[in-house]
Amino acid sequence: MSTISTHLRKIREPNKDEQLRQSFALTPAPDPVDVDSQKYKIEVNATLSLPQESEEEAYAGRLYLLPPYLAFHSLDRKSTRFTLPLCTIRRVERLNTRTGIFALSLSNWHGMKIIVQITSLRPTADLFCAHLRDALKLELQRGQMKAMKSFVKTCYSETLIPDNTPAGTEDSELVQTEDVAYLCGLGVKFKFPGDPKKLREASKLKLWATYFRTHGRNLTLLRYPQSTRLVQVGLPNRLRGEVWETLSGSLYLRFSNPGLYERILKENEGKVSTSTEEIEKDLNRSLPEYPAYQTEEGINGLRRVLTAYSFKNPELGYCQAMNILVAAILIYMSEEQAFWLLEVLCDRLLPGYYSPSMHGTLLDQRVFESLVKKCLPIIHDHFHEVDVQLSVASLPWFLSLFINSMPLIFAFRIVDCFFCMGPKVLFQVGLAILKINGEALLEIQDDGAFIHLMRDYFGSLGDSAHPNSSDPRTRAITRFQELLLVAFREFSVITEETIATERKQFRGDIIHGIESFSKRASVRNLKDLGNFTKDQAGLIYDILYKAICVVPPPASLQGGSGSPNSGQGQVAERPETRIGLATFKIFLSEIATWARDEKIVSNGFQERVDREVADHELIDRIFFFWDSSRCGALSFQDLVTGLNGVMFNDLMANIEWFFTLHDKDKDGFLTKDELLILSESMLFIFRYEVGDAYLGAVSRFMTNAFEYGDAIHETERLKTSGEAESEKPQELGNNQPYLNLATFRMVVLADEILESFFETDLTASFQLQSIPDGPLATPKSGFFGGLLSTIVTDDNVKRFHKFSDDLGKTIGQHQVVHRPSIGRIDRPIALQEPKAREPLLSSTSPRPSVSSASSSTVLATPSNSTPSLSISPPVPEKDVSPPEITPLYHAAAAAVMERTPFAIDDPQDDDDDDDDDETGEGDTHNPDDKVMDEVLYDCRRTRCG
Amino acid sequence: MADGAQQDKSVQVKLVLLGEAAVGKSSLVLRFVSNDFQANKEPTIGAAFLTQKCRLEDRTLRYEIWDTAGQERFHSLAPMYYRNAQAAVVVYDVTKAASLEKAKSWVKELQRQANPNIVIALAGNKLDLVQSSSPPTPTSPSFEDDEADDATATPGETPDSPEGSTNETLRQVPTDEAQAYATEASLLFFETSAKTGEGVVELFTEIAKKIPIDHILASTQGAAGRSGAAGADGQGNRQQGINLDAAASKGKDACNC
Ligand SMILES: Nc1nc2c(ncn2[C@@H]2O[C@H](COP(=O)(O)OP(=O)(O)OP(=O)(O)O)[C@@H](O)[C@H]2O)c(=O)[nH]1
Ligand SMILES: Nc1nc2c(ncn2[C@@H]2O[C@H](COP(=O)(O)OP(=O)(O)OP(=O)(O)O)[C@@H](O)[C@H]2O)c(=O)[nH]1
Ligand SMILES: [Mg+2]
Ligand SMILES: [Mg+2]
Repeated sequence: MSTISTHLRKIREPNKDEQLRQSFALTPAPDPVDVDSQKYKIEVNATLSLPQESEEEAYAGRLYLLPPYLAFHSLDRKSTRFTLPLCTIRRVERLNTRTGIFALSLSNWHGMKIIVQITSLRPTADLFCAHLRDALKLELQRGQMKAMKSFVKTCYSETLIPDNTPAGTEDSELVQTEDVAYLCGLGVKFKFPGDPKKLREASKLKLWATYFRTHGRNLTLLRYPQSTRLVQVGLPNRLRGEVWETLSGSLYLRFSNPGLYERILKENEGKVSTSTEEIEKDLNRSLPEYPAYQTEEGINGLRRVLTAYSFKNPELGYCQAMNILVAAILIYMSEEQAFWLLEVLCDRLLPGYYSPSMHGTLLDQRVFESLVKKCLPIIHDHFHEVDVQLSVASLPWFLSLFINSMPLIFAFRIVDCFFCMGPKVLFQVGLAILKINGEALLEIQDDGAFIHLMRDYFGSLGDSAHPNSSDPRTRAITRFQELLLVAFREFSVITEETIATERKQFRGDIIHGIESFSKRASVRNLKDLGNFTKDQAGLIYDILYKAICVVPPPASLQGGSGSPNSGQGQVAERPETRIGLATFKIFLSEIATWARDEKIVSNGFQERVDREVADHELIDRIFFFWDSSRCGALSFQDLVTGLNGVMFNDLMANIEWFFTLHDKDKDGFLTKDELLILSESMLFIFRYEVGDAYLGAVSRFMTNAFEYGDAIHETERLKTSGEAESEKPQELGNNQPYLNLATFRMVVLADEILESFFETDLTASFQLQSIPDGPLATPKSGFFGGLLSTIVTDDNVKRFHKFSDDLGKTIGQHQVVHRPSIGRIDRPIALQEPKAREPLLSSTSPRPSVSSASSSTVLATPSNSTPSLSISPPVPEKDVSPPEITPLYHAAAAAVMERTPFAIDDPQDDDDDDDDDETGEGDTHNPDDKVMDEVLYDCRRTRCG
Repeated sequence: MADGAQQDKSVQVKLVLLGEAAVGKSSLVLRFVSNDFQANKEPTIGAAFLTQKCRLEDRTLRYEIWDTAGQERFHSLAPMYYRNAQAAVVVYDVTKAASLEKAKSWVKELQRQANPNIVIALAGNKLDLVQSSSPPTPTSPSFEDDEADDATATPGETPDSPEGSTNETLRQVPTDEAQAYATEASLLFFETSAKTGEGVVELFTEIAKKIPIDHILASTQGAAGRSGAAGADGQGNRQQGINLDAAASKGKDACNC
């Protein structure tokens, strides 16, 4: 049982665009519906200020139009930031200020104004304005302004600040606080963890209300330094869900995907999968002490969110720890909000943490260890010395955002900071924990003591950090406050860039580790190694892995998941990987010399071997022959067993193998048709052999086989019924049992070439070679991407080859020769007159004169049948042609009877060279300066009353 | 608490629990360490660590128990926890056939990858679910005080006792089948219930007996090399008992930190 996943190969570092979008808490790629509007993308230098604030409060930075968002960050990338959906912008005005200053005033839905002074050159500024206007228009047409109005009502902040327009402009409509149904979490009904008095809920809410009035809220929130400080003292419970949503950007997802959560639930109602079963196991095991999770209401919500996400992201499915996370989140937000927050967590904030390989978790553990080494070398060295692994304690910290490790009230405050400042917080807090406990840590001698120490520390977070201080204010500082202080003061050097750099450095190692681990597990889990050593099985695995990288097996073959009547407890945790025929062809081409077409190309500059995957019924036949479970797909075990059945054979076993391979109904007889197919198979294997010897051998084989077959049937018939002579010999159909193994063996042994083929060559044509650019090759440093990078280079190599071939052709130096699969006979003439072993044959053969099937005139003289075939010293082909064995084939097949010719498909018909360059309608819109001078866009004009 | 006291004669034994998710690994440990049971135990994230002393004849064993996460995707983390382990308990759920398959693959992995002398026990948990509604009085002793008597009263082959056949339908793994497998793979075998406590103490005691203690003592030169002729364990007036140690009595039990 083994699951082989190549998805780690596809991981790549985000590019600049994606990084930018992520820094604004947006998805790496724009929504499909927004693809059109991306033509308005533009960025300018700008200074942000608020009308009510003083000059010093202006922040220089960069303003981006990323339709449907307008985004800004200050130069330091952290002081101020905003991500405004365009639909929240009601009005844009060009300010009449001093000459040379180009400033826009943006009024938003919450009646707030912000001023951006564009400091880029004038033409750029003009273009920006034009694009902004067009993008705004588009949003209005899409009805987003209207959608936004009802959307914001789901946010608690609207209730907190009932007056929609504090500025008291003409807009101030009557506020309908009554029908406002903001979304909330279980905490509203089941109480929030912690004592609200101690947490100073009321005053925190007041502070936020003040902030919201001046800096916007939910969709219009501007992130100024105060907001970070407010987050760092802990979010008020009622607001927590919304602020998490806003800071993490899941708010934008929820806004742009209305109703999707409910739809996913509906579409997958009643469906069972591995994930849903795993979820079911854990529902009662998620924050069980929280009252809501002792009720159906709480459990059902948890189930819905986890299940919906497992269907949204089936590749990830469900990972333990997600239940704890979601259970925690649901205290503060509604299901739909939690669903989108979970998406952001799995996708962006904790990438790869919960994936089946958990590569992100492992990677960040490695990064954490590396940071400990850099920042706390003494602790690191001590751990190394006493052989204590950091991650025995730190892994759950990261995986469950401390929720599983600390008392909830503290964990949530770390989560607050995490959503506000990003994943670096986990590392900062982790380092601070170690630093604070530094002295005690240097005493520990083993993993166990480490865990104990950490547990005791977390248990004491509520205690005073300075219990013996005389100053009551100092005494009031809790160990938790101390922790945050150390985390953000002393480890402020740990930035997002630090993390990104570290991750980049270790990712290759981690992936290598995971892959070799699963390789070892796969080999270990083989039920039957056959005659292979473990190393050989490992090679087979590598080859399989490579094949899967090239042609991933279709999802439909991965049985197990979603099978409806799986019976309780019968579902495998992860379905076994099985490959289809297409993948198998690639797999076999790496092993069997005849399952590939190798062309030796020389063009005067270089000599190289071009390898292509061959295609022939024989390969299909082997595929189905090895498909022991008859499911149209092969597992790793099937492949090992299959190869084992041919790679260790002696003469007799090989003959039998080949015979059985072609005996479709396994009744011990080949039909006439099968006999012909078998001959074709041999011809296919021999298609590139030099000279006529093999063709001759196959011809004689056919002649003899049919003579024998007929003779045997003649005698059979004579034996069984005396009158049989009157019957016509044709009575035996082409698909009736005809030739048994004994006879087949005899016919084969009658020929030296075939004998040696079955004795050694067939087995030798299966070669397990380690793959040089194999998946498990040590990752090249600084060149992450394994296969991806080899594909990239492969492309370059191809291009280079084509180039040199073209050159070679023009100077008449281009030669292509097929490399033979057996290659035993290298000099065509050297072959003695192919002679059958007459004595063996004639001694047993009754030599019937007439054979219904074969008129063997052509075959009898194979040497002169096809002159084109005698490729004595390899004759250069004119061009790279698809592998053809037609001369051989026609000679033999024509001689026997008309059969559907087997075509060799050109295996390389799916070149993906077509760079459909959609040079778009990138016509820049004429900036209409006149309009710009006045009102850029006034949404109110079109606003529905 | 009694941190200083544990040093003296005790031998530390690292024990790891492995097995499919939700078969009751953490519950077994909780029963063993705190003689407690929680109906809804949170899934283990990464691993949890607990300790428990186990008195065996004249010496004390100190189990350092690593309770690992069961979900398949945590599998690649397991080596971190089972490295250097002297004992392993591979747990399956008697009401789930698939969990025995998973257990077998764990055994295979341990036998190939772990410490070569590792003592492996197979535990079929949730025995209570397949027994009659009135289970045999829990053999789980009241730890602390009992020194001499009956903790070994029902080792191993308890389940065939007076069970009401009603619940037996829930059973998916017959005792014989698991026993046969365990014998073949030379594992200790017990059926247990973390809920009632049945078989739990026996499980850990039998493991303790099989641990080559002298070997460990010899290798960890720190432990005053009392070359024990007492190695002939399992005989005579075996005394045993489990002492709750510091970890066990802590209020904030078994958190996965
Ligand atoms: N990247 C990033 N880090 C932040 C952010 N807010 C706070 N931090 C971290 O938190 C620490 C303290 O926050 P600041 O408010 O910037 O601290 P400060 O400016 O020194 O202000 P005082 O400490 O109050 O004097 C910083 O050193 C950062 O590590 C943020 O928005 N982005
Ligand atoms: N009836 C019964 N239920 C049990 C028993 N042991 C455990 N359970 C229940 O089974 C569920 C899972 O138990 P855990 O101990 O958390 O399982 P685990 O193997 O540690 O699970 P992971 O940590 O996810 O690998 C819990 O709800 C327990 O209450 C038992 O002996 N009898
Ligand atoms: Mg047949
Ligand atoms: Mg557990």
